[in-house]
Amino acid sequence: MSETSMKRHMGLRASRTLANTLIYILLIAISIIWLIPFFCIVLQSFRVESTWQVGYVAPKVWGLDNYQKLFATDFPRWYMNTFIISVFTALLQTVIVLCMSYTLSRFRFKMRKPLMRFMLILGMFPGMLTMIILYRVLKDLGLTQANAVPGLILVYVASSGMGYYVSKGFFDTIPKSLDEAARVDGATRFQVLRKIILPLSKPIVIYTVLTAFMGPWGDYVFARYISFGASAGMNVAVGLYNWLTPDQINNNYTLFCAGGVLVAIPVTLLFLFLQKYYVEGVTGGAVKG
Amino acid sequence: MAQLSDLEYLKLSKGRRLGYRLGRFFAKIPKSTLQVFQRIWEFLKLCVTTVGREAKDIITTFVHGDWKTKLSYLVMGFGCLARGQILRGLLFLLFEIVFIGYMVLSGGYWLSMMPSLGKVGPTEEYNEIYDAYVHTYNDNSFQILLYSVLTIFFIIAFIYTWRVNIRQNKMAEKILASGKKLKSSKEDLRSMVDESFHKTLLSLPLTGIIIFTVLPIIFMVLVAFTNYDGAHDGYINNLFHWVGLDNFNTMLNWTNASGTQSYAATFGEILSWTLMWAFFATLTNYFLGMFVAMAINKKGIKGKKLWRTILVMTIAIPQFISLLYVSKMFAKDGIVNGALMSLGWITKALPFWEDATWARVSVIIINIWIGIPYLMLMATGILMNIPADLYESARIDGANPWQQYTRITLPYMLFITGPYLLTSFTGNMNNFNVIFFLTGGAPTNPAASSASGSVGYTDLLITWLFKITTGPESKYYLASVVGIMVFVVVALISLIVYNVLPSIKNEEDFQ
Amino acid sequence: MASVKLTDVKKIYDNKVTAVHDFNLEIKDKEFVVFVGPSGCGKSTTLRMIAGLEDISEGTLEIDGEVVNDLQPKDRNIAMVFQNYALYPHMTVYDNIAFSLRLKKMPEDEIYERVTNAAQILGITEYLTRKPRALSGGQRQRVAIGRAMVRNAKVFLMDEPLSNLDAKLRNQMRAEIILLRQKLDTTFIYVTHDQTEAMTLGDRIVIMKDGFIEQVGTPQEVFDTPVNLFVAGFIGSPQMNFLKANLVKEGSGYTVDVLGVKLPLNEDQIAVLTQKGVGSQEIILGVRPEHTSVLFDNQEGAIECTIDVNEMMGSELHLHLSSQNDDKIIVRLPTVDLTKEQRASLAYGNKMYITFPAKVMHLFDPATERSLIDG
Repeated sequence: MSETSMKRHMGLRASRTLANTLIYILLIAISIIWLIPFFCIVLQSFRVESTWQVGYVAPKVWGLDNYQKLFATDFPRWYMNTFIISVFTALLQTVIVLCMSYTLSRFRFKMRKPLMRFMLILGMFPGMLTMIILYRVLKDLGLTQANAVPGLILVYVASSGMGYYVSKGFFDTIPKSLDEAARVDGATRFQVLRKIILPLSKPIVIYTVLTAFMGPWGDYVFARYISFGASAGMNVAVGLYNWLTPDQINNNYTLFCAGGVLVAIPVTLLFLFLQKYYVEGVTGGAVKG
Repeated sequence: MAQLSDLEYLKLSKGRRLGYRLGRFFAKIPKSTLQVFQRIWEFLKLCVTTVGREAKDIITTFVHGDWKTKLSYLVMGFGCLARGQILRGLLFLLFEIVFIGYMVLSGGYWLSMMPSLGKVGPTEEYNEIYDAYVHTYNDNSFQILLYSVLTIFFIIAFIYTWRVNIRQNKMAEKILASGKKLKSSKEDLRSMVDESFHKTLLSLPLTGIIIFTVLPIIFMVLVAFTNYDGAHDGYINNLFHWVGLDNFNTMLNWTNASGTQSYAATFGEILSWTLMWAFFATLTNYFLGMFVAMAINKKGIKGKKLWRTILVMTIAIPQFISLLYVSKMFAKDGIVNGALMSLGWITKALPFWEDATWARVSVIIINIWIGIPYLMLMATGILMNIPADLYESARIDGANPWQQYTRITLPYMLFITGPYLLTSFTGNMNNFNVIFFLTGGAPTNPAASSASGSVGYTDLLITWLFKITTGPESKYYLASVVGIMVFVVVALISLIVYNVLPSIKNEEDFQ
Repeated sequence: MASVKLTDVKKIYDNKVTAVHDFNLEIKDKEFVVFVGPSGCGKSTTLRMIAGLEDISEGTLEIDGEVVNDLQPKDRNIAMVFQNYALYPHMTVYDNIAFSLRLKKMPEDEIYERVTNAAQILGITEYLTRKPRALSGGQRQRVAIGRAMVRNAKVFLMDEPLSNLDAKLRNQMRAEIILLRQKLDTTFIYVTHDQTEAMTLGDRIVIMKDGFIEQVGTPQEVFDTPVNLFVAGFIGSPQMNFLKANLVKEGSGYTVDVLGVKLPLNEDQIAVLTQKGVGSQEIILGVRPEHTSVLFDNQEGAIECTIDVNEMMGSELHLHLSSQNDDKIIVRLPTVDLTKEQRASLAYGNKMYITFPAKVMHLFDPATERSLIDG
């Protein structure tokens, strides 16, 4: 090896090491920036000395006071509401989304394209607008305010068929010849779905359940409309939001932090275990557009 | 601009090529706009011819049909019952009975009230016995509007079913004439899980969408032509009425009699910020997300899974917690200002949420924090799909990392994520969460708020909509107009981009 | 075991594209029929209509005398092997093969009997508990065939079953299908784009193009007497040579004038032409590479060519020649009888002389592309 080529070789390696070092620094910085708020919120939830918003992070007096105080508020009620809504929505919405996406992926009927286009156009209307009427209709049915839980489940689930894109993309990747082979083998369409497609759809079912659970868990707008000021019907988002309004914040800032931690824990755990499926869903959906 | 042949195009210099492509791009806009109108025209024509064909078919079926078929025009399902298809026949008959019953009992009333939306409003009368004013509530405009829309839906459904009933008679006659047997009720039921399985599967989702999305949207579009608001709630305070195009006039009129800022000006201001926000929010997230993904995926970087998990976990935490918390972190007396002051870098709190420009820049930057994990995931998936031999061949051809990025990674990403960019742009236009939880629209825009209620510098159309409906005056009609405008803007952008996208791609095939 | 009859069957897609035009064919019981043609010719669509996977737009389809147009695939009693095998990935090989029997609610011990029996015939007994993922391409192919076999179906449909295999395995499986066919003794409809497969497997071949049937016949018939240019070019490898030529009527006889030489026709050909009343006209002359006579020296009626490429295939040579008008001609020449000198003379740039015996010449009308003699 000549001297110049030796130098060039060393140069290449050095520049690669330099680049990697820079990337490590960057990634560490990113991780810190992304985690700091969550780190702060956890620390402040343990702060005992004041419920105010303050300009420092580490509590001067540590304790579980805020968590204890939470149970004296309506927070347990909100938490239960949110939990019930999310579980039911997750189950029902999954059924609806799978029905819709499987049909649009597998069946070729005359209204298929117009239907898909129609739903695309419907989606361009701000969904919030429909809440004005849905609130009044549900109110007449007695499903608002303190009884908001069933009303909210209905609202979340009813239109969920429009969110079929990701799971349709998944079904599209299962070869159609499997369906055809099964039909030639003597299966009805229903048997094809139950015996062939569903056993192969575990990733997308989990993804749909996960996202359908997370939606209501953090939703503010619909819950705010339907619960309309009645604390008994609020979910955590509406309840905790009210603690941070200017006239409330000084009494409840640390309470908000404690509540936020409790709200974040179950979804974070769920996510940690099911991360793989979520990632698959997101990347799969993106590639198909 | 005239189309060049491939060989002519290749002779152009780099700059001229770009100019040529841009020229072709703009030259195509009128044509593609025209195409949209053409398509709408063709659709209308198709509607007319379809109705004509159906009408003709209905008449010929009647003329050529046997007596069972003829009677079915009056008694739905009679043909089916007479030919032994009991289940179908009963369903048709039941539907007809329910429909006629409904129309007689209430549908007719709602329809008759629809033009006025209620004649007698609530009255107030002094009652001597109770020594108090007694309120009597009479017509309910809201119910009238809602139920008349429902009734119209029902009528359309009835006409359609009636048509299906006739077509079934025609088909049954044809099948019997060819010597075959009709489907029995049992076979009908069985086909629900086989040939007609898609109808079974779709029935539930579509019912939900029609009742909870289509109907409310039609209702709200109609509200834009009324004066429905908090003071005219249609029952307790006052009836509301049709006002024609008044609301649109107010909305689109630049001059305002009282000297305050007009709705049109406010709308324009909010729309321009909304578009600006959507543009920056989409682009920053896209490129920075791609950048982070490439950094994590770079060969030789260890702990890929760890870095990715750190970012992904932040998606799990509900946005109302993270955004509200971050919003308070950046508040005047929040942690960020506190830390900077204790470090001695600043003496006065930075006006993150108090100054219009600061607030706008802050929401865009904090939105990066929210959006990058998601974009990173997506970009990772696509980057891993780029064939490695593309890079190998580029390296052999002598491309440096930057050239590899601009010549391979970026075009590939853009090609695949083109549609995603559009949905992401319109999604950001309606990104309620980020704005509402971070600033709630603040700081207040005094000029715009003078006439239109509270409006802030960071308010998007969607948060403005929210404020209008939840504000003290509850101007539902105004919200409805704004909602329609949002729809028009989103639809226009999507339409243009969808029509232009393929032509861009074709042009890029030159490379 | 059944006959299949297609009468005026048509496939028109929603976008008004007609994929299959007026398809008429009667397939006898226990016959092996091959649909062959280039991609997009409608062969797979026709097969899928027979299977019930595509709707029949017009016409009738009868299996065993019964019109089955409106029957679901499951009610037609057919078995099908798919191009990509379509094995259910979440089931073991055993469950894959047993799937259709279980749907019929057959007792488990009978299922066991049938599945193991089929596995034995196909030599996949030791893989019965594996998932398809763990099998090689050839093994998957066997499972797919096994799945169709156990059904005892009336008709056995195969949609390009060998095209995903490599060349060696394809030859092996082809032979096995012939064996299988003898064992099963049922009606087969087989779709392929490969004319070799069609020739070796079929009792009868249906050659299709753009949704039309071009010719139906036994392998020998379609090879010897192609009715048009397309069939002539499609069947046989390397492809038949086509040359511009003139048919000249001289008194009661005919000769073919090609590349400056006059070639005689035989009596049978002249009789057909006379009977049809064909006059002197331009024609396209078709001659198969293996039917071209190679002369090593210039003789009466010899066409002079230059050698472009000499491909040594072992038992034979493929010579790519250019005529003086730059027409390209391919010649297949068995090597066994060639002398050393002759082989040496077959080098790039050398002159060569060829001629066409009367009985191997195919004459086509350039306007209609139909054969002047056959069909």
